[in-house]
Amino acid sequence: MVALMRWVGGAAVLCVIPFLLQPYELDLYRKLLFWVALAISYNFLFGISGQMALSHFAFAGIGAYAVVILMTQAGLPLGLAVVVALALAAALALIVALAATRLEGFYLALATLAFAQLLIVVLNEGGSLTGATGGLTNYRLPPIFGFVIGGPGTAIIMIAVLLATLAILLRIDRSWFGRACRAIRDNSEAAAAMGIDVARTKTIAFTTTSVMAAAAGMVYAFFDNTVNPPVFGIDNAIMLLFMVIVGGSGSHLGAIIGAVLLKLSQDFLEPIVGHYHALGFGVIVVVAILIQPKGLIGMWDQIRARRVAARKRAAS
Amino acid sequence: MSDLLELLVSATASGCVYGLVALAYLLVLRPTGVVNFASGEWAMMGAFAAYVLAGMLEVPTVVAIPGAVLVLAVIGWATEWFTVRPLVERGAGHLAPILALLGMLVIYHQATLLVFGGENYPLDGPFGFNRVELGPFAGTSQSFFIIVMTAVIFVAVWLFFERTVWGKSFEAVAINRRAAALMGINLRLVTALSFAGGAAVAAMAGLLDGPRGSVEVNAALPFAVQGFSALIIGGINRVEGAILGGIILAFAEDLTRRYVPIPSGLALGVTPVLLIAFLLVRPTGLLRAKEAG
Amino acid sequence: MGIARTMIGAGLRVLGVAGLATGVMAGAANAADTIKIGVITDKTGNARFYAEPVLQGIMLATKIANANGGVLGKKIELLIEDDSNKPDVSASKAQKLIDAGVVAIISNSSSTATQQAQNTTIKTLIPQVTHNGSDTLTRKLDNKCFFQIGPLGSIQIRTLMAYARSKKLKTASLVTDNSALGQILAKYFKIGLEKSGVKVTVEEVIPAGSKSALPQMQKVRAAKTDAIFVAGVLARENTLFFRAYRQLGLKQPIMGSFNLSIPTFLRTAKGLMEGVTFIDAMDPAKPEAQAFIAAYQKEFGKKPFSLPAYGWDDMNFLIQAIKRAGSTDKAKLCAALQGSTGWAGALGAKGTAYDFSKGRAGFNPQGAVVRVIKNNDHGPVVHSGTK
Repeated sequence: MVALMRWVGGAAVLCVIPFLLQPYELDLYRKLLFWVALAISYNFLFGISGQMALSHFAFAGIGAYAVVILMTQAGLPLGLAVVVALALAAALALIVALAATRLEGFYLALATLAFAQLLIVVLNEGGSLTGATGGLTNYRLPPIFGFVIGGPGTAIIMIAVLLATLAILLRIDRSWFGRACRAIRDNSEAAAAMGIDVARTKTIAFTTTSVMAAAAGMVYAFFDNTVNPPVFGIDNAIMLLFMVIVGGSGSHLGAIIGAVLLKLSQDFLEPIVGHYHALGFGVIVVVAILIQPKGLIGMWDQIRARRVAARKRAAS
Repeated sequence: MSDLLELLVSATASGCVYGLVALAYLLVLRPTGVVNFASGEWAMMGAFAAYVLAGMLEVPTVVAIPGAVLVLAVIGWATEWFTVRPLVERGAGHLAPILALLGMLVIYHQATLLVFGGENYPLDGPFGFNRVELGPFAGTSQSFFIIVMTAVIFVAVWLFFERTVWGKSFEAVAINRRAAALMGINLRLVTALSFAGGAAVAAMAGLLDGPRGSVEVNAALPFAVQGFSALIIGGINRVEGAILGGIILAFAEDLTRRYVPIPSGLALGVTPVLLIAFLLVRPTGLLRAKEAG
Repeated sequence: MGIARTMIGAGLRVLGVAGLATGVMAGAANAADTIKIGVITDKTGNARFYAEPVLQGIMLATKIANANGGVLGKKIELLIEDDSNKPDVSASKAQKLIDAGVVAIISNSSSTATQQAQNTTIKTLIPQVTHNGSDTLTRKLDNKCFFQIGPLGSIQIRTLMAYARSKKLKTASLVTDNSALGQILAKYFKIGLEKSGVKVTVEEVIPAGSKSALPQMQKVRAAKTDAIFVAGVLARENTLFFRAYRQLGLKQPIMGSFNLSIPTFLRTAKGLMEGVTFIDAMDPAKPEAQAFIAAYQKEFGKKPFSLPAYGWDDMNFLIQAIKRAGSTDKAKLCAALQGSTGWAGALGAKGTAYDFSKGRAGFNPQGAVVRVIKNNDHGPVVHSGTK
């Protein structure tokens, strides 16, 4: 009950914020929420399941493009378009997963990177279906239950997707499935010996998180009412990886902190230090990995452990 | 027919560039198990180093090329010392160095961009672009220069690994780090030299390619992608695999663009499709590891 | 449920940062009585190589206007934002500039980024000006306060076609790269060529990162077309094109888009471009262009190419409209911009002026010129207009 109250409280705070912000801050806020949602699901894929896939942003793109194409070109109503787009993303993710989860370590990274590249080629060559290099625009979110959704509205939908992603993944993480994922990450042979179906577990983790990315991408499509290929390219895929690493891979909170920190540093450091912010960004990543491979969360745990130890020493 | 032969010369030269980047990956990957995505940045920086020496300081080419290679070797050495060694010595997971090098990729990229901007710079080849005919094969002098230089590098690297005690010790590290250390091989030195060598070879790829188009920061990512695609196709276990993979990739790309009747934008899909196919069907690449002995 | 607590914590932190930002902005808004004009430019991305010279032109025009007493008695203050040529960031920066109280925004980035930023400016109908030549920018959205300064892809091809008519072309090859602008220009080149009865028998793409353009150019050679049209905009890939053209001993005339007017090519494809004809939007014989050239020379001590003139015109286009509107109110400014006729900028052939009364792309269709590369420099104008 208390837990539920906390979720409701958290949701309420997140949902009130959009109404307090200036339009630019609101735009940053909802794009930040988009990154956070992706970072949470990517953390499960990379940090908890140990799959260094670089296709996560590609699936966000698949979701975004699919819902727009289904709505504007196939003429489906929004609800149906969302369902079909999610099903499409799930089917595609399953196909990629079945093939890719046979691969280990950096082979998986390369295969999923190739998949992401292939998607960009398809989007660029898709003619009027995908709007080619310019992408699709001139559409908008239809009223939902009679409500016209504006800027704060899209932020609230993003919050719903984000919290749903987090709630589902927290649940999964604490179940036997989450433990299986961690076991495979740490030692897949030992996990198999314990009777875990490695391939199946990996496939499910990949497909679930990729569908979550697609859901976030769908909401993104209505932020600026335009979708285009460069947003879903390799730059952002690597950025997402950095967010999870800097925050602390394997930790939900770490992913959230990493996403907030790196996204905001992009927006707030650039006006102060100009181009050096991009260089500083690389330095932060390298230093984070060198000092504490578990990221900021790892650092925090370390400090806390030291403090507890010091207190114990003082008490005895 | 003469078209095909002319295309083959050019594609071989492109394949040599891919192969050199693949070799840069391989030199680092073999003894350390680390995939260095910054190899593409090294190639780009090698081209810039050559541009600074030959284009700005007007140093003669025979000095500029080894000079640029040396600069990158030092950068490679420093990278290993600064980012990889602390992680390895702390016993951080095998993924940590890969990620640290991804961070270094950003630093290299942004630092070069800060210094040189988004501009394109011309780099002169030592023999220009005159048409050269060798029997039925015709191509530019730069293409033949790329092919000859690449052949020299690959033969040298191959001889090093196959015929010298030093090379054998690299191989021993590749097979089993701990056993190699017990045998008295200096792991630190081998790792540092691998990075220096990788960066030097990448620099060659960049400075050989530079005169064809021009030198620019944006060239780094294509180098990185083409290089690891070549590596996967050829196989990560043998030096010959890198050049084989590079040439196969370049032939596949160029012959598709020339002879397969699909929109040429779609021909861009050749590399990822080939890469996925190899990863799924033959993840060890075309050349497998040699039997022990 | 520590996670909920941390979520709230994270939320509050966002709120804190946002609050700080609001404070800073409120402070800036009443700092000085200036006319704020926003510029979204690419300082760190892959459009930087043409965005930077254009930005020079924007800043130069601003400096000169301020030195002459400003506009409506106020100084112009430029608020410059970098979007790294990332479309989503470009849209955010447009909103940031609007919040900061700019009266108009100049977009100096790729067409994709400009498009996404337009999805933001359309919401408040704040005037947005760009020199980007993509025809689709005014067609995809019905935004009456979005204006294009430079020659559109369609004008470029019509000008080139008018010039080509004297050459009696029957067939043509079309070569481009895989950048967004390169693709769009190629599309309009193809439409224009086919309208003029020229058959496009080969269409080739040189993708970014290619090591050679030989396969594509062999196909061009095999097709034996009367001319080769170049719509690509990437410096490296276009250099590969010229290189392969020379290597294969091709002799057909090359006709290029306005992107070949970027001086980079004179260095990277040095000696390879002799005789190449390309579209330029600047005619050095035009008095307004001479005024720009003189101002540039005074400031930087060297002769400008046409790129800074695009930025120069972006800014002067806004200045003349603000003066005519007598106000910086966005609706009045938008109306004044729409009514801009007879205003001559540094761009456009001698004797031509901008006209925004018929559409939101005001470059005079007769204003583009065809120039030829001579002695590895931008040579004389060999043709002007679409007739």
